[in-house]
Amino acid sequence: MVEAREPASASIVDALSGKTMLLTGVTGFLAQVVFERLLAEFPETRVVLLVRSQTGATSRERVEYLFRKSAFDTLRERVGEDGLKQMLRDRVEVIDGDFGKGEPAVPGGIDVAMHSAAAVSFDPPIDEGFLTNLQGAMNLYGGVIAGGSTPALVHVSTAYVAGVQKGVIPEGPLEHRVDYRLELELAVAARGDVEAASRKPEMLNAFMDSARDEHSRAGPRTVAEDAEERRQKWVTKRLVEYGRTRARSLGWPDVYTFTKAMGERAVEELAAEASLPLSIVRPSIIESSYTHPFPGWIDGFKMADPIIRAYGLGQIPEFPGIAEGIIDIIPVDFVVNALLAVAANPPAPGDVNHYNVSSGSRNPLRFFELYEWIRAYFEEHPLPERGRGEHKVPTWDFPGNLTVERMLRRAERLTDIAEKVVTHLPKSKSMRDAVRRVDRDKARVDFVKRYSDLYGMYTETEVVYTDDRTLALFESLAADDKARFPFDAAMVDWKYYLQDVHSPAVTQSLRELSKRDRDRPTVAIREREEPVLALFDMEGTIITSNVVESYVWARMADLTPEEWPRELASVFGRIPGYLQVDRRDRGDFLRTFFRRYEGASVEGIDRLVADHVAEFMLQKASAAAIRRIREHRAAGHRTILITAAAEAFVRPLSPLFDVVIGAELEERDGRYTGFMSAPPLVGEARAAWLRRYCLLEDVELRHSYAYADSYSDLPLLRAVGNPVAVSPDASLYRYARRRRWPIEEWGMTRGMPRVRFPRPAVRT
Amino acid sequence: MPRPGFVLQVDERTPPLLVPEGEGFRMQKFPLGTRVVYPPDPLPGVRDVPSAVRHALLNPVGDSKPLPELLFPGMQLTIAVDDISIPLPPMRTPDIRQPILEHVIELAARSGVEDVELIVATALHRRMTAAEIRRAVGERVYRSFYPEHLKNFDAEDPQGLTHIGMTDEGEDVEISKRAAESDLIVYVNINLVAMDGGHKSVAVGLAGYRSLKHHHNVHTMMHSKSYMDPREGHSAINDSVNRMGRVLRDAGVKIFQIETTVNSETFPSNLGFLNKREWEWGASDQAMMMAAKKANDVAPPRVRREFFRRIEAPYKLTGVNAGEVEAVHERTLTNLHRQQLVEVQGQADVLIMGVPYLGPYNVNSILNPILVHCLGLGYLFNMYRNKPLVKQGGVIILHHPVPWEFHSIHHPSYIDFFEEVLAESTDPKTIETKFEERYATDPWYVHLYRTSHAYHGVHPFYMWYWGAHGRDHAGDVIFVGGNPSSVARLGYRRADSMRDALEMAKDTVGSSPSITYFHAPPVMIADVH
Repeated sequence: MVEAREPASASIVDALSGKTMLLTGVTGFLAQVVFERLLAEFPETRVVLLVRSQTGATSRERVEYLFRKSAFDTLRERVGEDGLKQMLRDRVEVIDGDFGKGEPAVPGGIDVAMHSAAAVSFDPPIDEGFLTNLQGAMNLYGGVIAGGSTPALVHVSTAYVAGVQKGVIPEGPLEHRVDYRLELELAVAARGDVEAASRKPEMLNAFMDSARDEHSRAGPRTVAEDAEERRQKWVTKRLVEYGRTRARSLGWPDVYTFTKAMGERAVEELAAEASLPLSIVRPSIIESSYTHPFPGWIDGFKMADPIIRAYGLGQIPEFPGIAEGIIDIIPVDFVVNALLAVAANPPAPGDVNHYNVSSGSRNPLRFFELYEWIRAYFEEHPLPERGRGEHKVPTWDFPGNLTVERMLRRAERLTDIAEKVVTHLPKSKSMRDAVRRVDRDKARVDFVKRYSDLYGMYTETEVVYTDDRTLALFESLAADDKARFPFDAAMVDWKYYLQDVHSPAVTQSLRELSKRDRDRPTVAIREREEPVLALFDMEGTIITSNVVESYVWARMADLTPEEWPRELASVFGRIPGYLQVDRRDRGDFLRTFFRRYEGASVEGIDRLVADHVAEFMLQKASAAAIRRIREHRAAGHRTILITAAAEAFVRPLSPLFDVVIGAELEERDGRYTGFMSAPPLVGEARAAWLRRYCLLEDVELRHSYAYADSYSDLPLLRAVGNPVAVSPDASLYRYARRRRWPIEEWGMTRGMPRVRFPRPAVRT
Repeated sequence: MPRPGFVLQVDERTPPLLVPEGEGFRMQKFPLGTRVVYPPDPLPGVRDVPSAVRHALLNPVGDSKPLPELLFPGMQLTIAVDDISIPLPPMRTPDIRQPILEHVIELAARSGVEDVELIVATALHRRMTAAEIRRAVGERVYRSFYPEHLKNFDAEDPQGLTHIGMTDEGEDVEISKRAAESDLIVYVNINLVAMDGGHKSVAVGLAGYRSLKHHHNVHTMMHSKSYMDPREGHSAINDSVNRMGRVLRDAGVKIFQIETTVNSETFPSNLGFLNKREWEWGASDQAMMMAAKKANDVAPPRVRREFFRRIEAPYKLTGVNAGEVEAVHERTLTNLHRQQLVEVQGQADVLIMGVPYLGPYNVNSILNPILVHCLGLGYLFNMYRNKPLVKQGGVIILHHPVPWEFHSIHHPSYIDFFEEVLAESTDPKTIETKFEERYATDPWYVHLYRTSHAYHGVHPFYMWYWGAHGRDHAGDVIFVGGNPSSVARLGYRRADSMRDALEMAKDTVGSSPSITYFHAPPVMIADVH
């Protein structure tokens, strides 16, 4: 149904000469190159850029920053830095505005408004999707019209707005009867509903419960913070669910395509009302450029690239999808060229032209071809694996979606079980190795699952988007323009494009990464003018034993052999109880345990420590820990020991520290009462203590260090600028890896005999 | 007269020979023509130890009166004894120190001496534990004196040292204040090797870092060839110590020296095969060896360590002399040489040795890599007079697993030395210049030395210097069976077998080197001509 087109009277450049073009989304993938081409080849065209300023960067600075990117390499070489700045001064106006929040103030005199900004995510929460893709477009065009212009509109959409269909899709208005106004209103209202639902007591209790499971030892504040974080996550997840389900119930695969479709309808109505010429351009999957600015130019990773990279790393054993299905990919420069040609050839005011910029109908790329060429590429150019040769790429059999889903489900179940097992293993190096391996496997399974969920529709597709109108536009161009601004999808040589252009481009960073030594985060100890603290947790960090063990030990040393059996039975009999209390709240455990010292003489305990506990502690203390403490001292740092143990028991290590913060046992008449004279310093109480200490001593924590082994010490670690996880438990290990904190293994010195129970105390 | 030492030439009939390697040993076939140096057989012991001791105390040698004549009421008497570093392995109880101490104390009591202090002459070694002291001095002495009047020496007690003077070479002489101020010091020594005893007893055993650094340094060590040859001009360290001893004597510090020597019965009868030459093993020796080897190979490391730790030597006293320091020591050396000297003709291109499980600094402890270096290249290599057993630039092949293990209570500064100092340099001179002072004065090491049972912070440096001469003399040092990372940290090479090590040695000494295997322990001194 394509009407014959008059040959374009003038070239694209001439058509846009003397015109002013408004561009949105210039910091993104597509408009970036449109902008570059306008600067480079349209000397008589003025450009107005609508850019949102960010904290720390004005909109103009963001544009200047763009010039440093590789898309501008060719142009920069031609005209130099100064030439670019000159162009920016002479031909470009940057205006600050956020159409997500309302109508931006746009100056008059706009001849062409090209809107290509969109939500990047396929799966945003439903309100965000609508606000950006529908309301945002309306705000933008509204702002342009309010500024007094009557421009030709070029609206960038996506081929997939056609939704879930089979067969051939023509270039025309979408056929549906969805009321976009109602959908928009309800989408925005959904957030209120979900936020309200998340605040119901039973929901909040559930968040609190799971937060408490993980953080109860750190303290109530940490629990509360975590519960709130969980609530927010839940809200987002729920709104994403709202969006996806609503989209699917109306025949769209995801919120992105759904809101884009709604946006098209809204823009069509707006253009008709204001009788503006409107062109809607619908590209399919946009990937790296074919020739311009240079072959393989890409900014960030687009849809297929994470999968290509993961495949090259051998991480995707199988992927759902129909082997014969068409993967509709189009190089970015084809889209840019089409946009410029469309902008130069607007329809009559009040009319709408739809263009599909896609390859599926005349130059189809089948899923198995894509797979085979990429596989061949990786076989010829495998990704290096540092120190282990090269990655092996898997062979896909395309066994069908059901089988792949079954495989995925099984893998998911296995990693879930493995995860439960490893997080309950005792703290050790091999536990941490296991955690790392399980996390890696889990990430792989999650990755494949997420991408197959998300892209299922794109890889299973049996739909063909015709591009007759786009082709007709191309054919109407002057010969010169055809060579200069090619966008005929039939021109793409897929094998060449995939193997020589695209795959090298998206794997380049992986190859460079493997050449460099992976920089493990390390601790750098620096001397500074201002006071610096070095805080050390004791149990599990400096001393390789837990509180229970060291107390049992100290207790034994205090008894005559005749008393041993009774005491042992009493202590060991209660160990499960102690451990349970300790799991819940270390403070409670300490209170319970210190009760055993009721009536013990202060002097006796001091002697016990000097005679027996000292040796035990020095033997259990990690040499690496002591070395590190001393390094900090040598650098002039103030060393602080924070322990849950009673101060009397840590005396053997106290010469290493400027400050020792331990539990204080109450004394009366030279004997311990079994009570603590101050609450035990555990979990977030440590961070609170630290903040107060810093206030009193006028110390900045930015340069300070903290060493701890347990997730419950997170508040303490987070308080300082240089946190270090030492032989961490599974949760802290994960956290530290994510944050790229240094992780150190401090253990007992190799070769030392096992610590035995002390010889019974000599009573004199 | 027992059989003297012996040099075997390996021929077709020679059985595999025993090579000690840490807490274990291997039976090794040696290439034909290898010379194997065996120590002399043990000398017979003194029958009646108490009368020998009494006789020595009453009949002193050199310019000294008998002990009873030196004791008088109201005097200050300090009795110093050698610490746990000798003898090796620890002597089966009663330790020889016990009867001597009992005699001396009895004589003192009889003369009405009340102010008696016993000091374990640890210098910068670790403090001995109560149990170790009790074992060395015996129950009676322990009960009467410990802990108030029987103490470990403390070289870092700020009030505990007296500066006596300087030698004419500018060396500080500073010893225990109590000892220096006493009317008499009685020193009870055990002379296991030729570098023990003499002036070293007081001038080193009761001294601190300020004094020790004048002879325990790289320059002195490099000019001591060998430490085991105390003749004037052969050992710079002995010369320095002798100068210090004479300063003490001239300052009026009165010393009554008691020195003992023991024979070479190093291993108890169940390990008797270790004392014998392999071709003379009887059926029971053979069986014991096989059983010990099998058990040892399968035992977990802790069990193996405990087994070796419990070995006690059935040493027998071969001589006791008392009186003036130099005269006593001359007799001691004669006695020692009678037991230990072996004549060897000419040097070899390759010297093979087995590093045993025990050296002076790891009794009840762990032989860490630095101590392995010291025992191999410091002690074993230096067991010579005249010339080393190996030519200058020759290859030394040592057998030891060199595990990356440390005793965190006894050797804390060793751990840091290994991790920090050796990681940067293995050159003794560089190490001495750059790190020694800091480790020697580090307050944490001082604290551990004084209150725990740690060797002094500077001690690992001395261990490293101790091997400096051997390291410098050899063209290459190869550890058979050594842990690759710890051997590399020490700056040496390693091989899986002796055959490989010999192959590697060819780079340095050519394709048909002369080889000598030094079959110790028991301790011996090769007199190389």
